[in-house]
Amino acid sequence: MDQDPPDSTENTETYLRLLTQHDRWLAAYAFSLVASAADAQDILQEVKVTMWKQFAKFEQGTNFRAWARRIATNQILNYRRSEKRRPSSALDVEFIEAVAAEIDRRADTLDHKADALKICLRKLPEAHRKIVVWRYYEDCGVEEIAAKSERTVEAVYRLLSRIRGVLNDCVSRQLAHPHTT
Amino acid sequence: MKNSAANEDRIQRAIEGLLSEEEMDAFKRDVIADADLRAAYAEQMWLHSSLRAERETLPGLFEDAPAAEEKIVRRWPVAAWAAAIAAGVTLLATIFLSGKGTLFHRPVATLVQAENCKWAGSDLPTAVNSKLGAGRLVLVEGIATLKFTNGATVTMEAPTTLEILTAMHCRLIEGTLTAEVPEPAHGFTVDTPDIKVVDLGTKFGVTAAATGNSQVRVFQGEVEIGGMKDGKTKRITEGKGLHVGSGNTTLGQEPTHGQLVQESGGWTAIPTSFGHGKDGYARRGDDGSHFGTQPLLIVKHTDIAAGRKNERRAIVTFDVSQVATATVAEAQIVLDPAPSGFGFSTLVPDSRFAVYGVTDEALDAWDEREMSWASLPGCNDDGPNPNQVRKLAEFWIPRGGSGGPITVRGDAIADFLHSDTNGLVTFLVVRETGETDPSGLAHGFASKEHPTARPPTLRLK
Repeated sequence: MDQDPPDSTENTETYLRLLTQHDRWLAAYAFSLVASAADAQDILQEVKVTMWKQFAKFEQGTNFRAWARRIATNQILNYRRSEKRRPSSALDVEFIEAVAAEIDRRADTLDHKADALKICLRKLPEAHRKIVVWRYYEDCGVEEIAAKSERTVEAVYRLLSRIRGVLNDCVSRQLAHPHTT
Repeated sequence: MKNSAANEDRIQRAIEGLLSEEEMDAFKRDVIADADLRAAYAEQMWLHSSLRAERETLPGLFEDAPAAEEKIVRRWPVAAWAAAIAAGVTLLATIFLSGKGTLFHRPVATLVQAENCKWAGSDLPTAVNSKLGAGRLVLVEGIATLKFTNGATVTMEAPTTLEILTAMHCRLIEGTLTAEVPEPAHGFTVDTPDIKVVDLGTKFGVTAAATGNSQVRVFQGEVEIGGMKDGKTKRITEGKGLHVGSGNTTLGQEPTHGQLVQESGGWTAIPTSFGHGKDGYARRGDDGSHFGTQPLLIVKHTDIAAGRKNERRAIVTFDVSQVATATVAEAQIVLDPAPSGFGFSTLVPDSRFAVYGVTDEALDAWDEREMSWASLPGCNDDGPNPNQVRKLAEFWIPRGGSGGPITVRGDAIADFLHSDTNGLVTFLVVRETGETDPSGLAHGFASKEHPTARPPTLRLK
């Protein structure tokens, strides 16, 4: 460990409270910007370790999310550099920052959206659920799903696009009329 | 939303990684320049990443979990725990756990398989497919497999008591487990009463006694051992093991006085502890060592070269001088399985054993204190010697144990007794089936020196 973590109980509680509060946003952020789910999970862990180590430097009362975002962005860019074995381009950095800002703008509704998403997932027909489980729970790529379901890659891609479209529309409807189930 | 179908398609392809590098770069430039495209991309990306981030909850969600439960299961990601542990902040966990009781109910593992299982005093459900949160599992018999949400698979071998703390951390209070840990779960930690085993990408096994006496064996990859008395950590690599012993094994204990027991139904039970009875085993790799006075009879067979030296055979002799062997109508041998502490049951399939009668009566005179691999009665190095022994019976022990004493039956046992002339009958016990890994289980049976279990017993009438 480079540096001892802050050890007062109060600090610990503050850190945990902030982390819990922003956890969904942080996960969405990392998973949005990293292609591989397993890598995103690793990066997320690294980010949380780094945040904890550096928490003493965080000025309480300032924007936790902005602070966390800076740490996460650094980790993601570091990862991209090592992944591609080429220096991350200015385009990459700009793209990540643009998308990050866009995700930030939506951060306040993320918790509601996540709840809505659960309701919408339950409404999926069995055949679509299977695809969702393969794609997300088992982390299969489009090609693997194509092999499993005896469809073409293109057909699986279209099906996945449609499922995500249906879910997105459903989530929007849920947010507009939260009591219709 | 003012996005064209073509742009929707680009977004979906970008998410699935189906764009070429040039197409992706063009897409990135457009996202930066076009606010509508950026908004649509962020929306789709949010959905995609939420599904990825929440992946563990998907199957449960589809299983029609009642809506009320949903409220309690406030997501606290595995990753945060791993981070907390990685940062060495156990304090963090303590505070958080005591502060939020509901966390205990969040499932972190599923009981995916249970073979021949009997459970006792567990505060977690023990039906197959049960979702398990933090809590304790007490496995009395059998083999049970748990799959943690992060992908780690833990197989418990009875008798074992395991406490699940989080998806990344459990405590082996007593017994044996093997763990297979895929990449997302690296850092998975098993505490025993005297050490802490941290996975670094691996398949490993741990055995622990409640009083502290832990063994670790790494089948693949690497683990880190911490929590030792000297405060040091140690890395163990593939094929290596470590034994941290603070407990005692019961060696050299006074033999209990055996008695010949008249049972109901006309049966007479003769334990090896009766009269001139004796029992012991030998291991190929220990030529010269004597295992005649151990509390266990250990039996193992392997066809894997690396395990050759661990071949073990047991020998038991009963004093039948007080019974009329010529008129025995029925005979049985009862063996009481006891954990050997060597190897992992998971790595041996159902096992077949054979019992041979030693026909060369000169060999009945073997001495518990002298017997070694070379002098094991009725055997040469390769196996039972047909000039000195006769196969009488076979028995099976299922993977994960049989639960309770094993009774070996067969007319051949009574026939063998008929030919006794010197008041002693000797049986050789060998395992005939092998294992899938050289760290497979060595089967143990109580000997007459065992402090609690029943010694090998010959029952006849």
